[in-house]
Amino acid sequence: MAEIDFERRLERLFGDAPDMGDAAAFAQRAEQRLDRGWTARRWLIGAAGLAGGLIGASQLMMSNVVQQVATAEHSARTLSAGLSRVTPTTDMVSALSGGYGVWVAVGLAVVTMGFAVSRVIEEI
Amino acid sequence: MPAANQTSLASLHDVELCAYAAAGERRAFGELVRRHGSAVRHLLRRMGAQAAESDDVAQDAFLAAFERIAEFRGEGAFAGWVKKIAARQYLRRLQRDRRLTALAVEGVEEEADVYAGDADHRIDLDEALKALSPAERVCVSMCYGAGLSHGEAAEALNLPLGTVKSHVKRGLEKLRARLAPAIEAKTGGASLEGRRGHG
Repeated sequence: MAEIDFERRLERLFGDAPDMGDAAAFAQRAEQRLDRGWTARRWLIGAAGLAGGLIGASQLMMSNVVQQVATAEHSARTLSAGLSRVTPTTDMVSALSGGYGVWVAVGLAVVTMGFAVSRVIEEI
Repeated sequence: MPAANQTSLASLHDVELCAYAAAGERRAFGELVRRHGSAVRHLLRRMGAQAAESDDVAQDAFLAAFERIAEFRGEGAFAGWVKKIAARQYLRRLQRDRRLTALAVEGVEEEADVYAGDADHRIDLDEALKALSPAERVCVSMCYGAGLSHGEAAEALNLPLGTVKSHVKRGLEKLRARLAPAIEAKTGGASLEGRRGHG
């Protein structure tokens, strides 16, 4: 037998691997390990996000954010009043600086929550 | 692929399953493991791994393949790609356990039990491989089972290229003596020079 024929035959013999009896169980174990890794990764990302959120919130509280927001709102009102003299279309600025700002923020939060929930459902 | 079930996955080609797996679809990758797990485990056992060890290494290899699935471009067979990963992982394990050093320093003694069977002897690669020394077995399996070139095998084994080539040559001679004795007798025997010697 020529050497090339023998080598090809050998490659075919190596490639000819019958299914093992526990092939399905082996695949299931691999899938379980993948799932475990995925779950661990999600928990890790979630924990990192929570930690980041807590740090961010604490930093906001520490920096006396309420007072700064009040100052910003006052500035926005002043700016709005100034702009109203220049142009009559300053409804958006005044809306954000007044009670409407809260509703806009709530709307944005609802949209964000909806997006997050849909992502979670998709992941599951 | 939210509506994909096991039946629809089974009808997909490897390349399609790889695309789904690259998008994070773990069930699609599970189907690939189902298809090619046995081949990878067989290869590792032929390289000399025990059953439990071959299963462990094969599992690790498939997980590594999932992590790197984006690197697989479908140019070759998926099974071949995973086999290369598995073979390298097995060598790393041998290296970690200092068993690879034993392969490297292994002597080149000739084995006297070269089988001279008859033409009716059933072709059994697994049995024939038992006649090879561990180093020959690893080298032959890497080159003909995992599809590595001599150069790639030498690099993975951290052995000189010439050493790998001589392991392969001796391994092939022994396998040929066991697997094709009758045909050998008819053709008068040709010298074995590895066609992978360009590596």
